Amino acid sequence: MKDPYEILGVARTASAEDLQKAYRKLAKKLHPDLNPGNAEAEEKFKEIAGAYDLVGDAEKRKKFDNGEIDAAGAERPRQKYYRDFASSDQDHPYANNSGFTDFMDSEDGFAELLRRSARAQANRRGHDLEYRLPIEFVEAIAGANKRLTLPDGSTLDVAIPAGITEGQVLRLRGKGAPGSGKGGFGDALIEVEIRPDRSFTRQGDDIYLELPVTLTEAVLGARIKVLTPTGAVTMAVPKGSNTGTMLRLKGKGAPNHAGGHGDQFVKLKVMLPKEPDPELEAFISGWESGKTYNPREAVAT
Amino acid sequence: MKFSTQEFLSLSGMGHDTLTAWIEEEWLIPGGSVAEMSFSEIDVARARLIRDLQMDLGVNDEGVGVILNLLDQLYGIRSTLTELREVVRTTR
Repeated sequence: MKDPYEILGVARTASAEDLQKAYRKLAKKLHPDLNPGNAEAEEKFKEIAGAYDLVGDAEKRKKFDNGEIDAAGAERPRQKYYRDFASSDQDHPYANNSGFTDFMDSEDGFAELLRRSARAQANRRGHDLEYRLPIEFVEAIAGANKRLTLPDGSTLDVAIPAGITEGQVLRLRGKGAPGSGKGGFGDALIEVEIRPDRSFTRQGDDIYLELPVTLTEAVLGARIKVLTPTGAVTMAVPKGSNTGTMLRLKGKGAPNHAGGHGDQFVKLKVMLPKEPDPELEAFISGWESGKTYNPREAVAT
Repeated sequence: MKFSTQEFLSLSGMGHDTLTAWIEEEWLIPGGSVAEMSFSEIDVARARLIRDLQMDLGVNDEGVGVILNLLDQLYGIRSTLTELREVVRTTR
């Protein structure tokens, strides 16, 4: 960011009154709401407002002059301006057409155009309403029926299709704001936000799950119950499985566009019993080959 | 997006008395009923504009009314121009 004094066009020695005067002079010319058609005004206004936020405040100015803070980050963050709403073609109570009603009364082609546009306005479709809907991970994979309660107390039923992804937007036709005349309703646009799950993660169509198994299950093999987003299934843990062993449950992932499903991958994690076990200790101390194999072979030391 | 009176006051950082005065002046025109007013994003942005006019630009109350009236006409003409552009484009 440039020097705030330079932006405001004043000397570093300017008094607080002079600073305010300089700022007001620029702001009057550049305030975005007073310049609805000027895209540049917003950038420039942000700059001078940021500069004035810094040196218009006696304390901040002192710090800045002493070099304790710099102008970086002093720019005002982008905000929604009045012009962003007033210029849109949505109906609002502040719209005022009195500035040209006299034009409409004449008989020329221009007046006809104006009248036609007024009629078009009278039959305009309602605007779209946007909502955010947080759903659970499992609901995103398996699909769900959700009910959204709107600020006005009414409700909206939303069918979440199975396999939906973060940020996907569902369009409910005709569930938006009412239009005027024969305009009909706008749409409701629902952006889906998927809450992270404690166990499952997703990569593309595949789902990953880390699953603790006992030492016995890992060494001897077992059939164990595993949760998937669509319910529990039984999975065979092969004899001699290890921490990090990845098992695949075919077709238990998220539905994909091809009409099939991704897979669920289960990563095993071998867990010793929580409490030290004398029997296990006795066995291990007598287990000769356990003292010789090296699991750290591949790890650089 | 609709806001209650409480939400609106905290969003725009103003007091209840100021709000009442602004509504009386017709600077703000909330929706809903008198007992339960409802505000939308354009009201929040308009309140911020009024604040900017008063605080940043040093406009007094009389001036704010004049500016808002002219701005409303300016924005009215702009949206009609937008409509007109549409009509001209589609009838050509």
